[in-house]
Amino acid sequence: MKKDIYTKMEILSDSAKYDVSCSSSGSDSNYKTGELGDTHKSGICHTFTADGRCVSLLKVLLTNYCLYDCAYCINRVSNDIPRAAFSPRELADITINFYKRNYIEGLFLSSGIIESEDHTTELMLRVLKILRQEYRFNGYIHVKLIPGASAELIEEVTKLASRVSSNIELPSNKSLALLAPNKTKESILQPLKLARDITLERDNKPIAMSTQLIVGASPESDFDILKLSSVLYDKALLKRVYYSAYIPVNETKNLPALTTTPPLLREHRLYQADWLLRFYGFSYDEILSSDMPNLDESVDPKTLWALNNLHLFPIEINKASKEELIRIPGIGVRSAFKIIKARRFRRLKLEDLSALKISVKRARYFILCDGKFQKEVPLYRDEIHTALTAPKTMKDKRQTQMNLFDVSGITGEL
Amino acid sequence: MILVYDGSFENFLNLVYEVYYKKLKPTQILKQKPLTLLVDEIYVCEKREDEALKVYEAIKKHFSKQNFEKILNIFMCDEIAFEMDLLNFIILGFKSQESLQDINERFVFKLNSYEKQLFSNVHRMTGFLRFVELEDGALYAKLESKFNLLYFLGKHFSKRFNNQTYYIHDIERSLVFIHSREFTGVRELSSFELPTLSEDEEKFQKLWQKFFKSVTIESRKNEKLQRNVVPLLYRTYMNEFIT
Repeated sequence: MKKDIYTKMEILSDSAKYDVSCSSSGSDSNYKTGELGDTHKSGICHTFTADGRCVSLLKVLLTNYCLYDCAYCINRVSNDIPRAAFSPRELADITINFYKRNYIEGLFLSSGIIESEDHTTELMLRVLKILRQEYRFNGYIHVKLIPGASAELIEEVTKLASRVSSNIELPSNKSLALLAPNKTKESILQPLKLARDITLERDNKPIAMSTQLIVGASPESDFDILKLSSVLYDKALLKRVYYSAYIPVNETKNLPALTTTPPLLREHRLYQADWLLRFYGFSYDEILSSDMPNLDESVDPKTLWALNNLHLFPIEINKASKEELIRIPGIGVRSAFKIIKARRFRRLKLEDLSALKISVKRARYFILCDGKFQKEVPLYRDEIHTALTAPKTMKDKRQTQMNLFDVSGITGEL
Repeated sequence: MILVYDGSFENFLNLVYEVYYKKLKPTQILKQKPLTLLVDEIYVCEKREDEALKVYEAIKKHFSKQNFEKILNIFMCDEIAFEMDLLNFIILGFKSQESLQDINERFVFKLNSYEKQLFSNVHRMTGFLRFVELEDGALYAKLESKFNLLYFLGKHFSKRFNNQTYYIHDIERSLVFIHSREFTGVRELSSFELPTLSEDEEKFQKLWQKFFKSVTIESRKNEKLQRNVVPLLYRTYMNEFIT
């Protein structure tokens, strides 16, 4: 039966929604006079769904028919779900029309595997060519590469896309063998390595690439995950790793039950740690170790690091370098710049920080302001940890007492 | 002393002139004469083009490019009472440009944060503005904001919609940014009637609404977060929120 375009849209966007990546950032402005479309360095969110996630790109599958049978995936061949496919022209037209109404920054194109990896990639290329060559569209296009596609096709894709990705999904080969029997870590990394080498040779700089790791579907620790991310960043393979709290969509004996709630707080802490790797000059083994393999859900990773390295504190904010300042819990890059700017004119006291709208909620336990240290809480790990995680007001306290037998209050789960 | 000016940039320059040459010591600056009786003396700044121009040239000469642009940007924050802070900023700037970097100074910090608010509104609107397609293929968007964003948005869209004709209509301020083959820039708009929409408009609005609904993940639902990132204020013309 032929489906109308609205039904197709419903099916194919629903199938694509578990991909976390939706960023449109990292590309310099590239508009051309007399043409359509531009990219914005910082990326632009065009709306936010009811789950609070940013919508920047039209994220759809070209088709959700698929040959593969990955245990965690909603579109696996053994699932009995409605299937649909856009024609390349149909999808290109929707993209252009959404773009002109300012609904989106561009297209996030992914697909189930039909017939073969090469055939699927050729169909995706057709969409890209209509957009880039026929409509002269310069907006953002993210393409999810199909593992196993030929080098020639991947080369063509990298010429037309703004960013490409391939999802590793499971952080170890063992988990992959168990849950995604058609994939191996090598087969997933293959298109990324190809894309990097091709673009490095052709344009002297690798195309921006990203991947996604599922958190909570398999037994890997936060240490394993951060180590993997860190290696991928170091090899200049990836610009971004996304973490996706596992949402059960299939009943399988090897996966958490369908009723399991996604570990959203763990996902959040991993993102914070990832930020520390990319923007704060931390290495993964400073944050975690094989002796302490998991992040503390009750405090952010930087605070966790600081509590384990109290010998480096307190830090005098009037003297510390930018690199030292951004290692203070609660002080971000912006606050560090404000401090550096303001202390040129006077020695800063604690109240000066508040006046500059710098939050000292966490930082106050770790800093000296003009030689002064706050007095209430001594510089000991447990004391500061307690002070940071204690309920703030009487109302909070009452609630905690009432919910004493509710486990979520103790474990800190959301 | 209370100074009154008409809210325009030119007239504010007159105000600066008067403060310097008549050695006025204002305690408050208002855009309109107060209606209630006040003990304070009221001084209304008159429009004199030559004097305004003189101040304009002096500011342009003495102020760094960044500080000069900040003054212009602050005037786009037209619902904020920024006048006393801006006057102090200009007075200090004539003494020393370096001191304008001192964010410990209250008015410097306040002006910086107004400017930051302005830019964050611009950035949000670059995402949240919604166009409809008209019968002749031109694009039309309605805009409502506490800040005067037209100049910034016009510039942003003239890059990405370079080959399109489009209009951004600031409803409250009765201004419109026009980008067409003949003209690009801001015009005042006295009366306006929405032309007929294109045939396809309904189809793409419906497709967008379908998309918006089906990309939501139910088990992660968090409407409080959604309200933080798309405040209700912005949703007036976003068709995915109109039921």
